[in-house]
Amino acid sequence: MNVQHFIKTAVVCLAVGTMVTLTATPGAAAKLPRDILVFASTDSVTTWDPSASYSTESVYMPNIYEPLIWVSPPGSETSFEPGLAERWKASNDGRMWTFYLRRGVTFHDGSRLTAQVVKDSFERTMRMGKGAAFILDPIDVIKVLDDFTVQFILKEPAPFDRIAASANGAWIISSRGVVKDRDWFEQGREAGCGPYVLESYKPDEEIIFARFEDYWRGWEGPHFSKIVVKIVKEAPVQEQMIESGVADLGNRIPVESSKTFDRKPCCDRLVGPSFMNYAVHLNTQRFPFDNVKIRKAVSYAMPYHDMIDVALGGLGRQAIGPVPFGQFGHDESLFQYAHDMQKAKALMAEAGYPDGIEETVVYTYATENAVEKSFAPLLKEALAEIGIPVEIRPMNWTAQWDWVKGDPEKAQHMAALLWWPSFSDPYETLYSLWHAEEKPYWNFSYYRNPAFDKTILAAYATPAEDEARALYSRAQKMLIDAAPSVFLFDVERPVFKRRELKGYVINPNYPRVPFWYYMYKE
Amino acid sequence: MKKDAPHHRPHGRARELQRSLDLIRRNPLTLFGLFILLMLTLTALLAPLAAPYPQQGKGLSNLDERLEPPSFKHLMGTDDLGRDIFSRVIFGARISLKAAVAVVLIVVGIGVPLGLIAGYAGGKTDDLIMRFADMILAFPSLLLAVAIVASLGPSLFNALIAVSLPWWPWYTRLMRSQVISIKEMPFVESAAAVGASHWRIMFRHILPNCLSPIIVQATVDMGYIILAIAGLGFLGLGTQPPTADWGVMVSDGREFFLNQWWISTFSGGAIFITVLAFNLVGDGIREALDPKIRWRFQKT
Amino acid sequence: MLRFVIRRFIWLGFVLLGLCVITFVLSRVVPGDPAALYVGPRARPEQVEKVRAELGFDKPLYIQFAYYLRDITRGDLGESLRTHRPVVTGILDHLPASLELMISAILIALAAGVPIGVISAKNENTALDHFSRFFAVASTSLPSFWLAMIFQIIFFRLLGILPIGGRLDTVVALMHPIEKITGFYLIDALLTGNWTAFKDAAWHLILPSITLAAYSTGLIVRMTRSTMLEVLREDYITTARSVGISENEIVFVQALRNALAPTLTTAGLCFAYMLIGTFYIEIIFFWPGIGKYITNAILQNDYPIIMGVALLMAVFYVLVNLIVDVLIAVVDPRIRLGKE
Repeated sequence: MNVQHFIKTAVVCLAVGTMVTLTATPGAAAKLPRDILVFASTDSVTTWDPSASYSTESVYMPNIYEPLIWVSPPGSETSFEPGLAERWKASNDGRMWTFYLRRGVTFHDGSRLTAQVVKDSFERTMRMGKGAAFILDPIDVIKVLDDFTVQFILKEPAPFDRIAASANGAWIISSRGVVKDRDWFEQGREAGCGPYVLESYKPDEEIIFARFEDYWRGWEGPHFSKIVVKIVKEAPVQEQMIESGVADLGNRIPVESSKTFDRKPCCDRLVGPSFMNYAVHLNTQRFPFDNVKIRKAVSYAMPYHDMIDVALGGLGRQAIGPVPFGQFGHDESLFQYAHDMQKAKALMAEAGYPDGIEETVVYTYATENAVEKSFAPLLKEALAEIGIPVEIRPMNWTAQWDWVKGDPEKAQHMAALLWWPSFSDPYETLYSLWHAEEKPYWNFSYYRNPAFDKTILAAYATPAEDEARALYSRAQKMLIDAAPSVFLFDVERPVFKRRELKGYVINPNYPRVPFWYYMYKE
Repeated sequence: MKKDAPHHRPHGRARELQRSLDLIRRNPLTLFGLFILLMLTLTALLAPLAAPYPQQGKGLSNLDERLEPPSFKHLMGTDDLGRDIFSRVIFGARISLKAAVAVVLIVVGIGVPLGLIAGYAGGKTDDLIMRFADMILAFPSLLLAVAIVASLGPSLFNALIAVSLPWWPWYTRLMRSQVISIKEMPFVESAAAVGASHWRIMFRHILPNCLSPIIVQATVDMGYIILAIAGLGFLGLGTQPPTADWGVMVSDGREFFLNQWWISTFSGGAIFITVLAFNLVGDGIREALDPKIRWRFQKT
Repeated sequence: MLRFVIRRFIWLGFVLLGLCVITFVLSRVVPGDPAALYVGPRARPEQVEKVRAELGFDKPLYIQFAYYLRDITRGDLGESLRTHRPVVTGILDHLPASLELMISAILIALAAGVPIGVISAKNENTALDHFSRFFAVASTSLPSFWLAMIFQIIFFRLLGILPIGGRLDTVVALMHPIEKITGFYLIDALLTGNWTAFKDAAWHLILPSITLAAYSTGLIVRMTRSTMLEVLREDYITTARSVGISENEIVFVQALRNALAPTLTTAGLCFAYMLIGTFYIEIIFFWPGIGKYITNAILQNDYPIIMGVALLMAVFYVLVNLIVDVLIAVVDPRIRLGKE
């Protein structure tokens, strides 16, 4: 064949092909049907095993699995709502908890809910010992009293209602699923009884859920029949997806756009407390933060509101104590360090350093965290003003944590930490972050105070809510006085959606969880 | 065709140099590249004077003027902490040029001697050195750099090391092939006959004649080194805030780039112009030094 | 000839072993406790210890390396510490997307680069030539992540004619899903007659592949031009001219045929490097390929993925180099018969 011919034909084919493709219109013409919800989410799944789940997949889990009871959103009439248990009661000493199960509940695989199933689920989680299993440590024995009554005997008194309503580690697994090992779940399978079934899963890309016809609450009224989750970690892309109608719901858009998002005709934004908070922990084992006056000076020097503006786009509240706003144990009457440079400088002078210190202090934060990245320069400038030179050192989260877990005398001077509770009680937060540790783990400030440890334990053990509250407040006051950590802000998590999407309920006890069952599109 | 090597009278060399400079002067593209490099070096050296807001260039925040579009007050706009982008681009030039010079020195310092030894010694030494070099070359350089920075911790210094380590084998290869073609030459044989030691032969006779391709490569590479450092900065693995770094600025700007396009555009543009300038100058030098040697594909 | 190839393969084996050592050392040197990563962010110390023993992280390094080598020979590159899915599956899932991008890019680079190079050579030292050469240098100077963003700003934000990223529009993916046969969206859509998805996939492919092609285009222009210039100086060309063959026929047929070999070599090596080049482009265009797969892994220190992909890329590069070398040797008798 003639070379010239060949070239000519090739060129013609290429030209035709290009023209055909170019005349094609991009395929975004179709609109989403009303019974499908597209959710642009930054959260990937680290495991589908309900006994081990303790990370970002907890955003999806409450739609597939159900617990015995649910914690109600702050401001509700009752603290709890029935889940798979209709009623429950605790003994006077708080060590025996009895749950009366709902009848007629079926799992996705067809099996039924019985007390034995509940017992097996909890025991599986305890046995595997992964994820949030530690919250079940207080359990001594689980008894099946009859087909629909199950009783938990605890070793020590504990707020078991909060534990049973936990966002992690308290899911009830079907009898067929409970005997499977972790690998079975990782293929993209589940064994729950919640309103939605896991239909398909492409890791880090897409998850599709379909409606479970035999869900015990029934399907009267408007509901979605399919949920498509697109894992999109990039904020500008989520913004585009919602604006163009490709997604109905998103959880992260650029901070600057977030402010004006609900002025758009297509879209709006919901804001609610999230129980996530940021703190900067000061190394109390090293100069200069072994000096309480200098620590307090730091707390006074922080430009809290600027930080909230820059890092969160205004969506946050300056923290009052370590327990986040809206959570049980939060006390609005506690002392809060307001940004006050004069007081900060006065304290530095009192501590003996009116002109500041010579040594440069190392401040670490997790490179993956955009919020921490945003406010780091502000922190550095604020401390420079009171005479503390700061070297900002972003590190991989695991690297930062490794450094803290090493020798306190050699660890960094300051570390930022984003925290959220495993279940809806302040004990875990207070215990993990500030109880005296033999080997450093979560206690980033290396704070040691036996009185504090005793107080929080007493608060945890007492079944009387008022007494618990008072004790938690007392413990928090100790922390505020000693200032081993700077309590920065409680995060208000926004959710971005199209106006047609209704029924979104924010319940910070289940952080960032969209409860699809209650949602619908107009 | 190789240069006529045997007669190295200063007279001939000076004439070669003169001819090379003429060729450079006549090529408008090369001149353009040189001009840019000159401007770049000047701004880098005089950064505190050249930048309209030097404090912001160094990192001071200015929260009242966040995310402002380009205007007379801020030629390239401001970033999300209100800092003047133009000033930060100028300070970024400092970092980039310093980094490029440092890396080139390291890379040439390691790669050239190794290539010299490999080419001259031949045999097993040659094999050993070249196999090692090949292995490093086979490894995806970006991943190697990322792994190095990840293990040492993100900082500019570590980024320099991370960029240098995958880079030196190119120079070893280049030097070695030069040495191989030179070492059979009569003037080398005569030096050996006279009784010169191996080291003397390598460094006084062979090395000076192999330098021109190295110089060309190093010039062009400076641009790519800046690009590589910027790339690491883009991933968050180089200079740390609040220091101004072009790659970091492009990455920072990504969060806003659809609405506040200026942050990423200008900082990335600076990288582009710089790499372009080095490429143009490098090309010009190459043509001036050896216009008849066919430019071979040496590396992408 | 055969000896040459065999020797190359032996060399390949050593290089691969060396690569394994490098990846293994790097993964152990990188900070962050892999057991802690595996267990999750809020595990208790006891849980971490348990997992560490389970996964063998407490054994001496050389034993761990032995396990590592053994697993590789079995085709097991380990599991992601985060998602607990096999790395091999992850790579196979993401590879077609990257390959589709790379193949499109190299085709674009050749389709654009060769003609420009030829025309440039034909009109040596004219304004057209200077402009082409400048264009080529500029193409090789562009930071890919910057070019990608500029394209997005211009074509998506300002003009609104191309999508911001991704392989397929969400609605199209829902309504006209592409059946997975090869993993290449264009091919699969054609094979199943899914016209809507084909158009949409092509539309999404445009910006990323042009961005990826930029660097290679510049190189190919330069290579084609310089080779053509040399070929055009050869005697047989002068002869052809004197015999009266048309200039176009000479340039585009006779000369080009001989100039193609080095150009294709260049293209082959560009293709090998593109696997790394896709990295930044996949990040910016949200392309679900190997680049995206490894980015998440890097940010989270998920070293089995990092090591597995690094090994894959190195093997790929080495193989392509080997193929190119063999082809050159086949074509060039000097190498085949003489010393390397």
